[in-house]
Amino acid sequence: MRLLLDPGACRTLDDVLRAGEAAWTHGLDGVVLGATDELPAPLVSAAALAARVPDILLAVEVAAGDRHPIELAEEAVITDTMAGGRLILAASPAPGFEERYGETLDLLRLGFAARPFRFEGEHWVVPGGIPQNVHNVEERIRVTPTPPRVRVELWGAGSGREEALARGLGHLAAESDSDEALAASWAAVDGSPWSVGLPRGRRLTWRGAEDALRRLRGGRDAFGQDWAAVTAPAEALEALAHVVRPRIQLDRLPPGLEQHWDETRPWLLPG
Amino acid sequence: MTEVGVGLWAMQSSATRPAPYPALYREFVDAAVLADELDFHAVWLAEHRLWYDGYCPALLHAQAAVAARTSRVRLGQAMLVAPQHDAHGLAANARTLNELSAGRLEFGLGLGHRDTEFDALGLRRDRRGRMFEEMLDELESVGARIWLGGMATPTLDRAARRGHSLMLPQTLYTNELQPLLEEYRSLGGAGTIGIMRDTWIESDPASAERARARIRAHYLEEAGAWWVLKGTVGFENPEQLERQLGRMDRASLIGQPEAIAEQLRADIAAGVEVFALRLSYDFTSPAELAEQLHRLAEQVVPLLRDAA
Repeated sequence: MRLLLDPGACRTLDDVLRAGEAAWTHGLDGVVLGATDELPAPLVSAAALAARVPDILLAVEVAAGDRHPIELAEEAVITDTMAGGRLILAASPAPGFEERYGETLDLLRLGFAARPFRFEGEHWVVPGGIPQNVHNVEERIRVTPTPPRVRVELWGAGSGREEALARGLGHLAAESDSDEALAASWAAVDGSPWSVGLPRGRRLTWRGAEDALRRLRGGRDAFGQDWAAVTAPAEALEALAHVVRPRIQLDRLPPGLEQHWDETRPWLLPG
Repeated sequence: MTEVGVGLWAMQSSATRPAPYPALYREFVDAAVLADELDFHAVWLAEHRLWYDGYCPALLHAQAAVAARTSRVRLGQAMLVAPQHDAHGLAANARTLNELSAGRLEFGLGLGHRDTEFDALGLRRDRRGRMFEEMLDELESVGARIWLGGMATPTLDRAARRGHSLMLPQTLYTNELQPLLEEYRSLGGAGTIGIMRDTWIESDPASAERARARIRAHYLEEAGAWWVLKGTVGFENPEQLERQLGRMDRASLIGQPEAIAEQLRADIAAGVEVFALRLSYDFTSPAELAEQLHRLAEQVVPLLRDAA
């Protein structure tokens, strides 16, 4: 299982950097950043973080559908370039624009590819083909520059689960999404060859190591959860890194190993 | 007080100098760190989109890395094509960069000119002024100094009316500045006056001529492919294209430090307060750029100290 640290509401560059450094120091897979009042554009924050903290993944949850997907695709590509391909763009339906979400995911994927395209959807037509634009207008366009890796890692998030899964995308579920609901959604695509290996994530708020272990193992067994975005205070990171993380990497551990860890590292015991 | 900034990065992997995009962005950030160390006022970026060389379409995201790596140099756009962005999204990006950089945003906003870019986004180019006017309230709420790009009367009027600064294009001759600035002031404009200038410092005349040819080739590509000159796109209108390139060439600052300083002093005397001096073109290597930044900081800027 892969663990992303959600630092909660970052207000300053120092907050963002502290989160990234904490994830790196504790051997977590990355951070997940969202919009806050002071830093409402998490892709911009992620580009800043990428310049200071190496290695870790930068998951960014953005609202999608409330502005042109080409603009969002460009911002994601530049952020991913600044991050050397470490971006995970987790796009959730923007409130009030849910009906545009599926088309937005399609346009993002077209924007990340290197072939010129034309898109005629219910909500978006690209290019617009507006008669008043006359000089050198194109029948098909390409979003540039090219992403730094083969593709930009795009997930659905929040309530966009069905649209994301139907498109063969990973998904970061809300904490309130139950094991049963997520199991049903994933079961619906599990027979498809393209669903193998898709990232299956869910958010989790830290309430102690035992609780985290129980819920992460529960998600793993119910719907194949292999990613978690953990909202945890700084004082919980030692337990997350030393107690929870090693215990959820494999399906089971050899008898005696957990006891060995507990006896030799009593200061890290849950609770 | 005169402020000297440098630009205009666009992170292009051009026909002249192809390079991996991650390297171009790293080179930009490294150059911005050097500009910070050399005490330049700002690093200015230019925006376009949907072009073969990957011309940077998201300036504020690129500059976020500079915000994280420096503490002094300011972050300017010359220009960000405002009407091609969602007002709310652009304001959020700008507010975030301004916060991350502790208030170092110099929010440079232009109208854009390529039909292709507007059309891709489902926008009418001929409505760009109206669209821009409608988004300004939200962009002003960011709280950064706003620079309006251009020199047409509607731009001067908008800048004057709304209390914004002016970033003038590099095609202007020094002797054309005074009437423009008089018009801006007569409309009530009280903002700061900035100008872009194409620059290259070479004491050796032969090297200067080579630089002039390379800069000309840079603009020949851009103007030939994009600019609409008297109703026709550049390469299809060689006479107008030649005229336009001749103007850019005559307005550029290429040569010895003393001569460049003299031209800058003339601009200062005409009312310019902030320079965005272009040293980054589609051919500039990181080593050349670093050398130019040093020459500008060490051989030209000291000659401006008692100007204005």
